[in-house]
Amino acid sequence: MEIESGGNERRLVREAQAGSGAAMASLYSLHWRRAYRAAYLVVHDAAAAEDVAQDGFLAAVAALDRFDRRRPFGPWLHRIVVNRALDWARREALRQKVAREQSVFEPLPPPEEVGGEMIAALKELPPEQRAVVVLRHLLEYTPGEIAEMLELPRGTVNSRLRRGLDRLREAAELETEVGR
Amino acid sequence: MRNDSLNRALREIPVPVADQAERRGLQVVEAAYAEREERQPSPVRDGRPALPRLALALGIATLLMALLLSPAGAAVRDWVGDVVDSSAPEPEPGLSETPGGGHLLVQSALGPWVVQPDGSRRLLGHYEEASWSPRGLFVAAAQGRDLSAVEPDGTPHWSLTAAARVRTPRWSPSGYRIAYRSGRSLRIVAGDGRGDHLVNPATAPVAPAWSPVGTPELAYVNAEGQLRIAASEKGASRSGAPPDMAGAVAGRETRQIEWGADGRLILEVSPAGLHLQGMRLNKLEGRSEFRRRTALALPAGATVVDAALAPRRPLVAAVFTHWRSAGTRSSVVVYGPNRREPRRLLSVPGSLGEVAWSPAGKRLLVAWPGANQWLFLPIGRGEGRAVAGISRAFAPGGRKSSFPQVEGWCCP
Repeated sequence: MEIESGGNERRLVREAQAGSGAAMASLYSLHWRRAYRAAYLVVHDAAAAEDVAQDGFLAAVAALDRFDRRRPFGPWLHRIVVNRALDWARREALRQKVAREQSVFEPLPPPEEVGGEMIAALKELPPEQRAVVVLRHLLEYTPGEIAEMLELPRGTVNSRLRRGLDRLREAAELETEVGR
Repeated sequence: MRNDSLNRALREIPVPVADQAERRGLQVVEAAYAEREERQPSPVRDGRPALPRLALALGIATLLMALLLSPAGAAVRDWVGDVVDSSAPEPEPGLSETPGGGHLLVQSALGPWVVQPDGSRRLLGHYEEASWSPRGLFVAAAQGRDLSAVEPDGTPHWSLTAAARVRTPRWSPSGYRIAYRSGRSLRIVAGDGRGDHLVNPATAPVAPAWSPVGTPELAYVNAEGQLRIAASEKGASRSGAPPDMAGAVAGRETRQIEWGADGRLILEVSPAGLHLQGMRLNKLEGRSEFRRRTALALPAGATVVDAALAPRRPLVAAVFTHWRSAGTRSSVVVYGPNRREPRRLLSVPGSLGEVAWSPAGKRLLVAWPGANQWLFLPIGRGEGRAVAGISRAFAPGGRKSSFPQVEGWCCP
């Protein structure tokens, strides 16, 4: 799904490369919400999603001069954001598993659950499946594009997607049955 | 579940977004972009004509209009002014005023500086440490074994020479006493330089903290890591040292204590935690008593860089560092009176430094050495500001300098 016409986005990238802070700010406001949403749906933590989205844009600023402006900006940003979100989710899962009882300090209260069952079902997926589902169904990339973004074989992407969707469907059907 | 319904659900499900998250990110991205621009060869140096200012202004105005009129305009209308301001070139040397007013005391490699509200600065001399007197009329400054009282214009008032190196001088709220560490011992001297006496011969390397209410009392950490309270008057005990009261074990890692303005809390800061020691003034005996000690909840994996109690309210501002494989991140949070849900004001890549409250308790100054900036963050509504070029501002003559340390922000 395009959120900005390709020509206009290319113009903004060109101007940002030439030193226009306004163009950079405009690119940011065009892409931040989707980048944040994608990050949140992978990490399920508002503060971490904010950091991940911010890191994505900072990486974009750092690599701006090397960016090939014939290519779209969005996928490049999404690739950075989803990969960083995935890294965070993996680390957090590991940390929670091995260190839950080790903290001397009271952990912060968990963020308020919003978005209902879909968010909850998505959260139950392993981070790798979550990332693939978000790339496919929020950001609407093809399995081939996702394979390239995550540097995975296409078959792995397809299997993660299938397993993820099966579990989401199970959750949805269970809700439907419970709701009858 | 159909794919299109999943697509729609993922697009439309409300997700929690922290207050001001988008704006915070924009400020950080703009700061990074400005740094990038500073590193780029300028058009003037390349021999090409610079971009005309009029065209730049028109471009910004066009963007402004586009943002305000776009569907997202409503959301960005509140902060679009910042977009324009903070993407402008950073002023040189940058510190043209102190947002929020007041006088800053800043320690650089050259010595302490007093920064006026209009940004003008004066180097006090070649002192290694300094702190404000309660009303900002004097500065207690240390150099080697010397402790001096210096006027803010740099005029020395008096000086004494201690037996060992002088550290962490702290003026009492009444202005009548200065506590300081000399070697491992803790001592008190009157504000006029007379009556120097020992409080404790073996203390931890932590600056003492004066009680803001009642009879002058001094909190300090002894060599065993125990938080103690000493009366400031000598001669009340057999040893000749002031009477002294033990509190909880603060911990050997404690590196900072601070007594809150209402006298009811002492904040203990260590890399691994933040603790609040409850205090109560026994009005009949005229001395403080220890109450409950509580730990503040830290974000998972966070290390405390610095923390400070607000001058008028029971708020604690803290700077945390989070080590991650993608690099270090730092955040600034404020704990409210219930201590439960700290509010995050800022999260940036890299390391932040010290935090200081403005005299009115409405702003925070946070040092960002990696970006060579000071950040002035409002606690309530208002615009945050970043001031660049800080190292250069305290290195006259263009000499390279390390990033300076904010020692105090005075006075109401």
